[in-house]
Amino acid sequence: MISAEELAGEEQAEWYSLTPLERWRESAKLWEVYLALGGSLDPEPDTQSPFFDPEASGSRPVDGRPGLRVVRRGGV
Amino acid sequence: MGGQACVLYGAAEFSRDLDLTILASPANLSRLRATLAELDAEVIAVPPFEAKYLRRGHAVHFRCRAPEASGLRIDVMTRMRGVEAFSKLWQRRVTLRVDDGIVYELLSLPDLVKAKKTQRDKDWPMIRRLVEADYFSQRDQPASQHTEFWLLELRTPLLLLELASAHRVLCRKLHKQRPLLRFALAGDLAGLDEALRQEEDAEREADRQYWQPLKAELERLRHARLRAE
Repeated sequence: MISAEELAGEEQAEWYSLTPLERWRESAKLWEVYLALGGSLDPEPDTQSPFFDPEASGSRPVDGRPGLRVVRRGGV
Repeated sequence: MGGQACVLYGAAEFSRDLDLTILASPANLSRLRATLAELDAEVIAVPPFEAKYLRRGHAVHFRCRAPEASGLRIDVMTRMRGVEAFSKLWQRRVTLRVDDGIVYELLSLPDLVKAKKTQRDKDWPMIRRLVEADYFSQRDQPASQHTEFWLLELRTPLLLLELASAHRVLCRKLHKQRPLLRFALAGDLAGLDEALRQEEDAEREADRQYWQPLKAELERLRHARLRAE
């Protein structure tokens, strides 16, 4: 059987192994850090979205990164 | 229903915006209006916040101005392509109560996966992770509905091969619903890889077709808004 670590790497496998409640707690911690560092809540324009309206887009976020993070960077 | 649900289901660790799917009933919209007013949320872009647009499949977009949520984007939808009516989604929802007692009502994982089959690049790796996370957490003691869900929705070739080899009868039964399962049954990794790409391309094209009339309507609304300004 293929392991999650082999397939997705250790960090992502670790995230997979959490319960939804544990993920909620970890994500809340990331939120605290993100906001403490001055991160913006305004997501970057999603130009592939059928709803995309250039006139209505907000400013680019201060960290310049997408609004949805998929890779873990630290221990849980 | 969107990024936050992806976080809780294990496909992402952080999402900055909030996507809600709601029943567009007058009472519900009125409650939502009151909540949005507390957040000092303004409608951005088109369409306006009216039930008729939600019922046609549009999303209504808000940006919050209240200090504690300044800049937060909230998108509200009622109908999504390939996803059943709200009443069915509500029956199948997953309820999560967190530490502070707040209750989150999430789209069920199968419904979320269907809702994510859009024309956007970023949704496809997300679907893959959503189903992988479920597979790894339930693989040791799967119920039959899990196995069926994975056979129909996994987008990870190696896991599809593994699953097909362990559940050949079910895989044969489902291959009319998902033709690429024949590659999984045959152990053909290259064929499976290519078939997954084609499956994704077909869904993305179907999403573009679905949005064509809605985009035309948005364009008309934009022009009308510009003329009015």
